[in-house]
Amino acid sequence: MTSPAASISSREAGTVARRPGAGVVLGEPDMWAFVLFECLIFASYFIIYMLYRMADPELFLRSQEHLSQDLGVANTLIMLTSSWLMARCVQAAREKKFEIASRQVVLTLTCGVAFVALKVTEWSMKLREGLGFSTNEFFWFYYFLTGIHVLHVLIGFVVLAVVVHQLRSPERRSQEIVETGATYWHMVDFLWVMIFALVYVMR
Amino acid sequence: MKKGDGELFLFWLLPALGLTWILAFLVFPGFAPPMSPTMSAEEVAAFYRDPNNLPWIRYSMIVFNWFSIGMIPFLTLIVVQIRRMAHRTPVLSYAYLGCLTGGPTLLFVANLFWLLAAFRPERDPALTQLFNDIAWVTFTGQVGFLVADCVFLALAIYLDRQPHPVFETWVAHFNLAIAVALAPAAFVAVTLTGPIAWDGFLSFWVRNGAIALWLAVMTIVLGRNLYRERRAGAIPEAGFAG
Amino acid sequence: MSAAVADHTRARPSGFLGRIAWHWRHDPKIELWICWWVMVSFYQLFGIVFVLMTRVMPPPRPDWDQARIVQWFSDNHTGLLVGFGIIFLVAGMTASSNAIIGYSMRRMSVSRAFAYSYIAIYSLSAIPGMLFAGILLSVGAMRPDRDPRLLAWLYDAGFLTFVGTMGVFLIGTLVWMIAILIDKNRVFPRWFGYLNICNLLTEFVVAPCWIMKTGAFAWNGSIAFWVDTGVFVVYTTAFIVLLRRMVIREDFGDGPLPDPS
Repeated sequence: MTSPAASISSREAGTVARRPGAGVVLGEPDMWAFVLFECLIFASYFIIYMLYRMADPELFLRSQEHLSQDLGVANTLIMLTSSWLMARCVQAAREKKFEIASRQVVLTLTCGVAFVALKVTEWSMKLREGLGFSTNEFFWFYYFLTGIHVLHVLIGFVVLAVVVHQLRSPERRSQEIVETGATYWHMVDFLWVMIFALVYVMR
Repeated sequence: MKKGDGELFLFWLLPALGLTWILAFLVFPGFAPPMSPTMSAEEVAAFYRDPNNLPWIRYSMIVFNWFSIGMIPFLTLIVVQIRRMAHRTPVLSYAYLGCLTGGPTLLFVANLFWLLAAFRPERDPALTQLFNDIAWVTFTGQVGFLVADCVFLALAIYLDRQPHPVFETWVAHFNLAIAVALAPAAFVAVTLTGPIAWDGFLSFWVRNGAIALWLAVMTIVLGRNLYRERRAGAIPEAGFAG
Repeated sequence: MSAAVADHTRARPSGFLGRIAWHWRHDPKIELWICWWVMVSFYQLFGIVFVLMTRVMPPPRPDWDQARIVQWFSDNHTGLLVGFGIIFLVAGMTASSNAIIGYSMRRMSVSRAFAYSYIAIYSLSAIPGMLFAGILLSVGAMRPDRDPRLLAWLYDAGFLTFVGTMGVFLIGTLVWMIAILIDKNRVFPRWFGYLNICNLLTEFVVAPCWIMKTGAFAWNGSIAFWVDTGVFVVYTTAFIVLLRRMVIREDFGDGPLPDPS
């Protein structure tokens, strides 16, 4: 039941015929399509958030004060660092320095874990103050946006694990997969920055 | 023990279980005669509280609870028969398979609600009536999976184009006829009186009669097939090879 | 089978019915096309019944009082009962969708377990996905004089099961997604594998509907309902189109039939 094309993975060395769009963007064009669609969905969440905020700016401003800006900044720094590490990894992989690249990914993963740990800490702090999901409209969005973002980070762990797996063994090491993984991770970073800006910082 | 023997064991389960179903069916006071949807809440509550009815309601429903899922192994034998037909893909067997858990599960749900209604008959009559309604609507109205299975089997038979088809063509016509007979029962909730109401001619007598007839006919047809295949030694990998 | 080969070369008749008859008699992929068309018809019927007849999509508000709920049941009495009657009748059509998707996984280089788990999971999806809602709301509509408290319970239960049942679709989508992404035969494009993530996430996004009664996260909310349904529509459209392409690409032709073992 396997088609003859199965033995030729276009992910292997670029000498095999590439799919349209490949080589134009970093990693698979398919991942970019997904990233765009996800950003579209998040944009709709942000717009709805803004609409609710405009309806009751008093409440949103007051509730926002309960958020720890320090933790928000810390999370942002962790995310940006992890993105930088991923970019370094892609560069290292291009230069065939697979050991280094592999280490970068592991560090990225560690940053991701730190991010999630910090987030969970932040949530438990808020919950202990009695500020839960149903407390008020601001907090719906706070928990929802940060929550759905954490889900994306967790999915990112799987993506990064795939990248590490690729880099570890000489038979694999597809540059395209590494770049595709990096694209996903950059999206996760980008979404966090947006959430940080809209939920934590914006007055 | 030949490979086909396993299928025969499963096959003979059905008539054995079928007997228990018929018994439970006849014994359940709500079926003989079928309760009217127009009964008021007090009347329904009185029905469940009646000491002549209550034990029989519970025993018959307990029996259903034990054995209603027994339909599934029988239906899987039909899936295996479909796999032996001259088709290019397994999709029709998958479609048949995809329908065969739904029906018994919903029968189970109906059964559950009848048992609930009978568990505390001293309950508020409005609640008893609610459980009774849910049970009846589920029992009578959920014909979709049965209808689809009949249609998929008919399609499979029509498309089984070979010198010795697995089932004869009349079996396909029969299944389609059964599907048509079951169809009106889907609209059971639309009225409380008349032939489509759950005690009505179409939704009760035709629907249940059609199911009983289908079980009887398919048992005979399937049995013949299994014995014939066994004799011919022509049973390939028994079970779900596709 | 030789007759089929000869017929295949004969000219196809024109006219709608003529073409259907030709396909029925001669098209080697007729099984796949039947499944595909039944799937498409089901989704269209679903749309008509749920949106236009029963008015369950978009859902009415969770924060209505009992009197208003009773009013809703009575306003939609016929639409609910007849519409759900249709759904009860055609519920089995969902199986053809599962069958063709299961088949798509059999065409992949992955284990059969994927196809079987998908079919197993989705064979029950119709029950929480639409039939429970149909039963509960029908039972509500059939006796307008029922105690309003009970009608309110049926209303809650119907809509919560409809909007809020998540696990089946979550795990099912996950199974298909993994199959697509590790498949070496490229039965589906990678972007569709990633799109499965979006559909999967909608099952998380909808979770707050079990808690909230107003606002963006209630069962009728802009996020829990509208954005989620939007993603679902995009996803469903995508897989309908991709499955069609898959069937067109099938190349088994008129050759000897596969060994059923």
